Amino acid sequence: MLDERLVIVSGKGGVGKSAVTAALALGAQRHGLRILAVEMETGGGLSAHFGTGPLGFAPREVRPGMHAMHMVRSEALLEYLSLQLRLPGLGRFGAIARAFDALATAAPAVREIVTIGKILWEVREDRWDMVLVDAPPTGQIASYLRAPTSITELVATGRISHQAEWMAATLADPALTRMIVVTLAEELPTTETEDTLAWIDASGVVTTPTVITNRVLDPIRVKTPAGVAGEMVTLHKALVAEQGEWLKRLPPDVTLPYMFGLFTPTEVAAHLSDRLEGLE
Amino acid sequence: MTKTVLVTGAGGVGKTTFSAALAVTAARRGVRTLVVTVDPARRLASALGIEHLGDEPQPHGDEPNLWAAMLDSMASWRAVAMRHADPTVATRLADNEFFQAASEHFPASQAYAAADQAATFVQARAWDLVVIDTPPSGGGIDFFTAPAQMADLVGGRLLRWITGGPLPGRRFFYDRAARPVLRMADTILGSGLLERVSEFLIDLRTTYDGVARRGREIERVLRDASILVLTTADPAPVSEAVRFYRQLPDIASVPAAVVFNRSLPPAWSSTVPDPGLPAAASHVVAQWSAETLRQADARGEFSTRYGARVATVPWQPDAPTDLAGLETLLREAEGIPWSELLPDV
Repeated sequence: MLDERLVIVSGKGGVGKSAVTAALALGAQRHGLRILAVEMETGGGLSAHFGTGPLGFAPREVRPGMHAMHMVRSEALLEYLSLQLRLPGLGRFGAIARAFDALATAAPAVREIVTIGKILWEVREDRWDMVLVDAPPTGQIASYLRAPTSITELVATGRISHQAEWMAATLADPALTRMIVVTLAEELPTTETEDTLAWIDASGVVTTPTVITNRVLDPIRVKTPAGVAGEMVTLHKALVAEQGEWLKRLPPDVTLPYMFGLFTPTEVAAHLSDRLEGLE
Repeated sequence: MTKTVLVTGAGGVGKTTFSAALAVTAARRGVRTLVVTVDPARRLASALGIEHLGDEPQPHGDEPNLWAAMLDSMASWRAVAMRHADPTVATRLADNEFFQAASEHFPASQAYAAADQAATFVQARAWDLVVIDTPPSGGGIDFFTAPAQMADLVGGRLLRWITGGPLPGRRFFYDRAARPVLRMADTILGSGLLERVSEFLIDLRTTYDGVARRGREIERVLRDASILVLTTADPAPVSEAVRFYRQLPDIASVPAAVVFNRSLPPAWSSTVPDPGLPAAASHVVAQWSAETLRQADARGEFSTRYGARVATVPWQPDAPTDLAGLETLLREAEGIPWSELLPDV
């Protein structure tokens, strides 16, 4: 999966989408790609998985050849306005930018186009071979993916409507954009994944996502021994059986193993990255 | 006096099921209990008897001391408007094309509406105990900060500056502040889009007094609540739990306990596989004892570094599907500060 320029990783909260994003970034970096990893949520876990401390809006090199940034809407907006209005010193008009931000916050699609737009501008840059996004959870992802299309429906003219066209085209192009949905073999993550896949299928804003099922336990075929070992085997088998029910409903794209006994988010990301090597 | 328990924690750690189990346990001890939940899984909703019900508390058919209510996580600004704006403005707000979008995308408005509704149940004094499962955004921290954030949004300096003065005078707004912004917006957006948005914000601004007053009441209710931080031993939820545990004393109160869900028996950590075991079984033993060790490490971080009270709930593979299953979940829990959480009955 090293050919796409943009990889968007989403999933229900708590399924490990930040860990998977970090793992994919580490894998691509090992192959010598110049990476930009983008954390979208406040308090997002991506920085923890890189072990870097809090990230800022300006991309920072966190590994050789790999940069990471935290998306800040107000800064993205300011940057956009200074570029569009060719006013390099727009920071001085901070009050106007803040007012614009307050208005944009309430407008559908405008607030999302500012952040997804920033990401798509970065994809256009020659600076990066791949931009990886630890995106908002599946419950909110639709409004981001739909933003370029929504904008063209809301406003017929103006600069944004022209830009929105190439943005929508980039998202929908399977050669450029890959969407990944991380999930677990549990009830709520499974139903939310089904809903997300159905919506994407119907809307066509991106190509059918790759589904990565995280924390899957290996089935074991062994007679339950006596004592404590037996209790462990019994719990393991029961969990495997429960996961099996939900795995039946999930696409068989990729599974990642449960990470037993790891202590830090950086360890988790490194191990997952080994497991994702060679992902098609 | 109604006691309140708030269950916070990162997404996916089992907050909703735990809240339900806590409520069932209390109800079966004779405490009149309401559990307020958000988006439960289908099996859990059916165990609570709230499959098809809305946000009005419903008595449970099989347990006379138990009520359940489901918060509508989408209600948000609509509820705020209906409560705090005059009827004409409220209708205009609800009909505004940006209204739905705004309530979907401003998480504090959802948390505010949820906190408002939950506080209403506490203030009704109809129950001895109200257990609140906090909404997923921000792991429940939003819940505490939302009243202030909401008041700040509708009455903040920024919006006051845009809408002009204490009264929402439209002329003042267009003349003094908004016109340059809107002209700039027109260059980029190419239509009156933001002008329509700003009308929405002006209407919203009229709800300020109500929102600010109610916000202070909600904050009082939340400050008096006992807080539990739920987590698993996975690194990501643990670092979230650490963040909550350190922030909560400033914004609400010191959490009553950090509860580790999906805990394994401590003795598992020192289990050495019997040499006679098949390889596959030895592998499983090694995995689960490593997992138990990690859990002990995560608990130790809370008890020794932060002096937190730590509780454990055993890992049970099957999701509970009825009241008995929910009660079983906490029967073997250890360290839950029941005397602090439950009122004397």
